[in-house]
Amino acid sequence: MGSKIADWLDERLGWRSVWEAIFLRKIPKVNWLFTLGSATLFVAVNQAITGILLTLYYVPTPDHAYNSVQYITNEVAAGWLIRGLHHWGASAMVVLTVLHMLRVIFLGTYKYPREITWFTGVFLLIIVIGFGFTGYLLPWDQKAYWATTVGTKIASVTPGIGDWILRVMRGGPELSAVTLARFFGVHVWVLPSALMALSGLHLYLVIKIGISEMPGKDD
Amino acid sequence: MNEKKEIDRRSFLGMATWAIGGLIGAGFGIPAIAYIISPATRKDEAQDWIRLGSVSKVELGTPTLFKTKIERQTGWITKEEELSIYVLTENGRDFVAMSNICTHLGCRVRWISDQEQFFCPCHNAGFSKSGEVVSGPPPRPLDQYQVKEEDGQLYVLGG
Repeated sequence: MGSKIADWLDERLGWRSVWEAIFLRKIPKVNWLFTLGSATLFVAVNQAITGILLTLYYVPTPDHAYNSVQYITNEVAAGWLIRGLHHWGASAMVVLTVLHMLRVIFLGTYKYPREITWFTGVFLLIIVIGFGFTGYLLPWDQKAYWATTVGTKIASVTPGIGDWILRVMRGGPELSAVTLARFFGVHVWVLPSALMALSGLHLYLVIKIGISEMPGKDD
Repeated sequence: MNEKKEIDRRSFLGMATWAIGGLIGAGFGIPAIAYIISPATRKDEAQDWIRLGSVSKVELGTPTLFKTKIERQTGWITKEEELSIYVLTENGRDFVAMSNICTHLGCRVRWISDQEQFFCPCHNAGFSKSGEVVSGPPPRPLDQYQVKEEDGQLYVLGG
């Protein structure tokens, strides 16, 4: 029965070849360090799921942000868990992305023909840091407020255009409702779109080119 | 036929992957469902006697509108809500307190004294002065509150 449905679908979707290309592809003999990318992907999916769930209650305005986060944490069933997964997942994201990058650097995997995979990876790291920076403001507590005050102020020491960057980031000279709203918009719309597009390309290349072998003594 | 059901390493790992994946899926899915439906499962707040106003305000034989403010906790917001209640008495002793919420789809009804009817503008429903459906789609009469009189003041039970 199950295989009949699978056959019916395969005839129309060709899903088996896709499945084989993704999960049954041949890989060289490598070690556990090569799972860091998959681990990053796993945490990214965690961030997407828990992030979508958080938006069900979170309200990005100064008079509601803090209270809605408290409501999620203390009143909603499993809210502490969903928020906790998103909070700790954020740190895990940065750690795993950096470790993944270090593995690629140390094993020379960024070289021909994988340069584009590498560059998309670099941008993905920047996106992940952007997620962390914008997400940090959203609870709208003292830590969030002052961290973003300092963080945007750091950007303002850029020579020449620093003050202008600060105003664009804050949506004005001061941290305000505008800042919170744009950080939220960037966090839930701009960065996720960019992340999906670039990680799509990144993963396509990983599968298309195949992963590298461990470098030998003479490499 | 030699039906030796030996599980090789490959299929064992395959099954283990599915099993762990299933556990992780459940680990997300179950809390997610609880999280989503949580506010809906919240019990309504305890009912309390709400003071409407002086009994002397009620006109004999005509539904009289009382407006009162109650505090309601919704999510993380405590807000004041206005409650509109029509009180009817035929003899000055027995009172009927009716909700102004149409029993069809929840619009607000108002008393039209010319026509001696409650009228709901959403779907042209009509209710008699005691709340019975006269015309239109409502499935049942206007809801009533438990009402009591104390020291010349009217109270209804609500929340």
